[in-house]
Amino acid sequence: MFLNITSVAGKFYGYIPFGDIVLYVTEFSAISFVIALFFTLVVYFTKPEKQLESQIGGFDRLNYVSLEELKIRRLMAILCGICTAFAMLTGDLFNYALFLAVIGIANIGIVSAVKKEWVLNAAYYYGIIAMISTLPLFGGAALILAKTGTLSILELAGKHQDLLFQKMLYAAGMVGETGVAPFYAAKAEMFRAPGAPYILMIHLSSLLIVIRTAEILLTI
Amino acid sequence: MELYNLKYVIDALAYSLYAFLVGGLLLGLHRKIVARIQGRPGPPILQYILHTLKFYFKEISFPITAGNPLYFLIALISITVWMSALYLGVVFNTSLLILMGLYVLQKIVEHGCGLSSGSPYGKLGGVRSVFSAAAEVPLFTVIGIIYLLTKSLIIEDIIRYQEIHGPIIFQLPFAAFAFFVLLLSKAPNSPFAIVKDKSIVSGYLTEHFGILESLIMIADGIAWFVLLWIFLAVFIGPLVVSDPLMTLLGMVVLTSLISLICALTPLLTPNHSVMIQILISALALLDLLLRIVMG
Repeated sequence: MFLNITSVAGKFYGYIPFGDIVLYVTEFSAISFVIALFFTLVVYFTKPEKQLESQIGGFDRLNYVSLEELKIRRLMAILCGICTAFAMLTGDLFNYALFLAVIGIANIGIVSAVKKEWVLNAAYYYGIIAMISTLPLFGGAALILAKTGTLSILELAGKHQDLLFQKMLYAAGMVGETGVAPFYAAKAEMFRAPGAPYILMIHLSSLLIVIRTAEILLTI
Repeated sequence: MELYNLKYVIDALAYSLYAFLVGGLLLGLHRKIVARIQGRPGPPILQYILHTLKFYFKEISFPITAGNPLYFLIALISITVWMSALYLGVVFNTSLLILMGLYVLQKIVEHGCGLSSGSPYGKLGGVRSVFSAAAEVPLFTVIGIIYLLTKSLIIEDIIRYQEIHGPIIFQLPFAAFAFFVLLLSKAPNSPFAIVKDKSIVSGYLTEHFGILESLIMIADGIAWFVLLWIFLAVFIGPLVVSDPLMTLLGMVVLTSLISLICALTPLLTPNHSVMIQILISALALLDLLLRIVMG
């Protein structure tokens, strides 16, 4: 039953029944979980950097992140980190899609408090792509449920069904939701916003989610 | 028992030192070959290691713009990432997926370095690092293609597969090419090295100096060793990686080939670099889909 899981994600250490949500731990998911939590702690403890802006005809200026702005962005970054960490462990396709959606919202939240027009524009475009992507993401999960009768990754790992179209939909949803290539152009300006640790969480969550999705798609 | 534990720790540290020395010498060789092709004498091959030692003992101060503790933690994270990749990949032959996970953390290191310094040059290097994440897309496709062939992503299984069926490079030439481009994009002075373009000073490393730069250089040396080893293990297999001397020879050949390409090609603009990487991604994706459809 777990052959696919062990050949993709390394050793299988067991699962944690948590109501109807089943989390499972493999070598890969354990490492990713620890990484996501570690960076969440780094985000909590790090003070934002002060960007240096050169001025024409005057002294260079330091850009501070105000305390009010810091609080909301830090909260969003921590939410994003926690969702990413548990997305690494979840054994359910629907929960994973939900975590992805929350990560998308948190990513927009991280930059939405920045009072710069170009940052807000980028967040707006990314938001539109993320919203559109929820359709193939949840649609893919729904089609998998309709065809196999389950959304459990552990169950799907043991079945040998042709899920190519459903997997493609699911992957397309993930690509848009995390804003990776070719959609990251919409996100690029977001990375120029001040507030290093918070912006870093946007990038980290996307990369970890991409690898986790590759693991899920190869497993089921 | 405690003595055994101590022995494991010493072995692990000794292996890290070996990986750094080999990686550092190969990066030195890379600079030398590039210089000779361009008609310059170039620095000695030992230069990379000498630089690392020099920076290690230099005085350090934190810029007032820096966001701490991320600013100094990122150097430690860099070295942790590549030492983990060394043990998990080269020593324990674990899943390729975990190694790719650690590889993408390198992007976080580049991004974190650039962002946490507060310097506009570092920031630009960090943002370019995000852009060049397009290089990672073929990586995931390559993983998919290898899995379709070997039915496993565990490096040990992939090496065993090649013992029976011969090197994967002949069965999956395009996947090997896509992975090679990834190696190329990681090399200094490569056409895809937009994160360290001299027009943005030293890119994401601009404000990391002294011991922090030294730690990042140690990590880069180990990274070069690990990436070359992964390529040799996954695409050429036991023919090379079962013998340490053959592994070294394979690494020298790969480094020389990469140096040749780096010396003869100009640095691409960020747009062109990303466009080429996306083109390779699209072709790799097409290859994967064709293999799935053809069964």
